Amino acid sequence: MKTRLSTLLLCLLVFTAGTPVAADMPLGVMPINGRDAPALQLDNIDGEPYDLASTGGHWRFVHFWASWCGPCRREMPSIERMMPMLAGSELEFVIVNTAETEDEVFSFLGIVAPELVPLMDSDGLVTQAWAPRGLPSTFLVDPKGKIQYLALGDRRWDEPAYVEFLRRLK
Amino acid sequence: MLAGVLPIAASNALEKPYPGMHFEDEQLLMVIIPRTPEQMAAFYEARGFPQRAIDRVKATCFITVHIDNKGDGITWLETANWQLRSKQQALTILGSDYWDTVWESVDLPQSYRSTFFWTQLPPVVDLHPDEPVGGNIVLPGDTGSFSIEANFNTGADRRGKQIQVKFDNVTCPQDPVTP
Repeated sequence: MKTRLSTLLLCLLVFTAGTPVAADMPLGVMPINGRDAPALQLDNIDGEPYDLASTGGHWRFVHFWASWCGPCRREMPSIERMMPMLAGSELEFVIVNTAETEDEVFSFLGIVAPELVPLMDSDGLVTQAWAPRGLPSTFLVDPKGKIQYLALGDRRWDEPAYVEFLRRLK
Repeated sequence: MLAGVLPIAASNALEKPYPGMHFEDEQLLMVIIPRTPEQMAAFYEARGFPQRAIDRVKATCFITVHIDNKGDGITWLETANWQLRSKQQALTILGSDYWDTVWESVDLPQSYRSTFFWTQLPPVVDLHPDEPVGGNIVLPGDTGSFSIEANFNTGADRRGKQIQVKFDNVTCPQDPVTP
């Protein structure tokens, strides 16, 4: 599991193009005001600590989800399929489960996205601080720690429009 | 189904025929699904909620709501602009202040409070084109038949055409009595 953490949760991928402008954005992705990303210090499901503030210098894909929500269950497999498509890029995937137990998370991810190693927001307070519009939600955090984009829930991240959009982040 | 997954908590994949009661035009889709106490109890029991919390859930009336902004501009979900009436009496949605007090009184752990929060319809959202929103609104359990008049402002400045949706004769279904 430690190996998977290093290769997936903290995988760094290298980008080649410029930051997308509004016209380039795929459906459901919105630019927002560039506010500072809230604190995100959590342990992953293996008990290993993670701190978003210590991982600057590249873009972060911060995704909040819970297994009880239907759109989350549909979206999660597409995230797992999308990650290897961005191999060689510089995007870090930060997958945050909201307020569920390890058993609930394991029994869900073990079937639909076994390669993902989520962070565990066990009491839900980190999710609350980030204030997503709902679950699932994805924030794209720039290398300086500012939230630049919000993706509405239930995206199909492995579709070309999303992969290309993420690839252009720089 | 409900015990495992909240089907339309935030879905943009709601398919016809829509469950429950619905309104749809070129700008908006709104679907409401009244839930029985046992349906809601089953959902939260499956999430591990303690019985003292389940009892409070079962004493109320849950309506699952799905709204999809089909227009090309902002549509405002603002439940403060909704009017719910039973006969001549106005009904109040039991919002986060109410539930915070309830959960405090039963000493519900924070993780369950968080899960419950995310299953509720948010009171204010500026819905962007193609953006769905969903969740539950909760009413007192002894409500009987009532109407829901949902008013939506449009435009970023709320000065666009107002959309009004009304559902009459909504009831909180009860679970069948087992002999």
